[in-house]
Amino acid sequence: MVEQVNSFAIKTKNVSVHYGNKMAIDDVTINFTKNDVTSLIGPSGCGKSTFLRCLNRMNDVIDSCKVQGEFLLNGVTDIYGDSIQVETLREKIGMVFQKPNPFPKSIFENVAYGPKIHGLASTQSELNDIVMESLNRAGLYDEVKDRMDDIATGLSGGQQQRLCIARAIAIRPEIILMDEPCSALDPIATARIEELINELRENYTIIIVTHSMSQASRISQRTAFFHLGKLIEHGDTSKIFTKPDKEQTNDYITGRFG
Amino acid sequence: MENTHTDKNFEQKLKQLQDDLIKMSEIVEKQIEIAVNVIKTKDSQDAQLTQNLDEQVDVAERDVRDLSFEIMTLHRPVASDLRLVFTALKVSKELERMGDHSRNLAKRAISISSSFDDELIEQMYSLGKNVQSMVNQVLDSFFKKDELKAKTSWNQDAEIDKEYKSLLKNLIERMHNKETSVVDEGTKPILIAKSLERIGDHATNIAEEVIFNITGHYIDLKKSDFE
Repeated sequence: MVEQVNSFAIKTKNVSVHYGNKMAIDDVTINFTKNDVTSLIGPSGCGKSTFLRCLNRMNDVIDSCKVQGEFLLNGVTDIYGDSIQVETLREKIGMVFQKPNPFPKSIFENVAYGPKIHGLASTQSELNDIVMESLNRAGLYDEVKDRMDDIATGLSGGQQQRLCIARAIAIRPEIILMDEPCSALDPIATARIEELINELRENYTIIIVTHSMSQASRISQRTAFFHLGKLIEHGDTSKIFTKPDKEQTNDYITGRFG
Repeated sequence: MENTHTDKNFEQKLKQLQDDLIKMSEIVEKQIEIAVNVIKTKDSQDAQLTQNLDEQVDVAERDVRDLSFEIMTLHRPVASDLRLVFTALKVSKELERMGDHSRNLAKRAISISSSFDDELIEQMYSLGKNVQSMVNQVLDSFFKKDELKAKTSWNQDAEIDKEYKSLLKNLIERMHNKETSVVDEGTKPILIAKSLERIGDHATNIAEEVIFNITGHYIDLKKSDFE
């Protein structure tokens, strides 16, 4: 089968990451299909978050971190090359963190900040539209429309996380990286975020690190299992959770690890 | 050796599930053995014993079902654990049907006329012994996770079917040549042979489940060496 260059949002090849002398990622090659949700799973310290952070160069700020290998956005743009600025890259590849981290500003300002600094709106009306659309897509608009000027930190944990998702999508990224976005949330807020991830998939490629195997099985089409910095297995989620090819994967997802 | 679960409670329940299935299998194997012997002995007490054992089999099947349900609800098994639970449910159902057939064939065997053709009795007994051997083998393959053995017993069903058809042909030919009363008598051996053939089919189904449990794939259902 001829592989379509454009069918992958991100292609990576022979990726290795070191923190000083310590190897965190060992020769990983994996491609992320557009409009799929891919879960990265594995025990603590397996390298899944390190790998995720490589995808939009979040590791650049760590002096001891050395990233090697090939990272291609849409099959062509070298993520670590000179042809793309980090700011531009992060417009295209947004990120949502484990703990909701709204700015200590109003709900409106939180979402409007990105479009403003990236020059995505030329008038206040356009900016209003982007903010409203982003909050809508994040499933938060109806809950906050009457208090857009309230401080964002006053929202519940689940609402704050959806606000962070709205903030991420306001700058119109192609890919959203999520690092355990539900680990600080209760089951209802988690369910709401999971529903949102499923809806967002229509427009975005989502790569999510999760410790919850049941979450990975519920929300993702593809799952990648990491262990000790290596990619052990990557495939359709339904296959990984019913008949994985590797015994190590089976042992991990059935709780026989360690 | 297979790694143990980090969740000891889950581990314990999976072990219990296998133990329950072993217990159920032992009862059904005993039931089949007794029923096959009744073809020759026509011992009514033994036939009654298969009836009593059938009640135990029904209880054992409910135990497997309840425990499987509990495991799925409380532990949400995946991958090899999920396959084991599904296999346990399906195997227990097959065993329960085998038990029913054993009980029925024993009940019919005691009412066959003592003057009935010895050669046909011998042929039925031989079919019964082969079915019994197939059942033993397939259950052994399940508990030892032996894919090759499961495939071997799966292939054995073709032989069982041939033997059944040959017995049927023999019976029909003899009925054609005899009086109407013999035709009436002949329906019992036909039903006994059919019960044995069905037990073989259930054993084949178990072999398929065993292969699925081990590999995650179902066996290719084409029987190239059959018919």
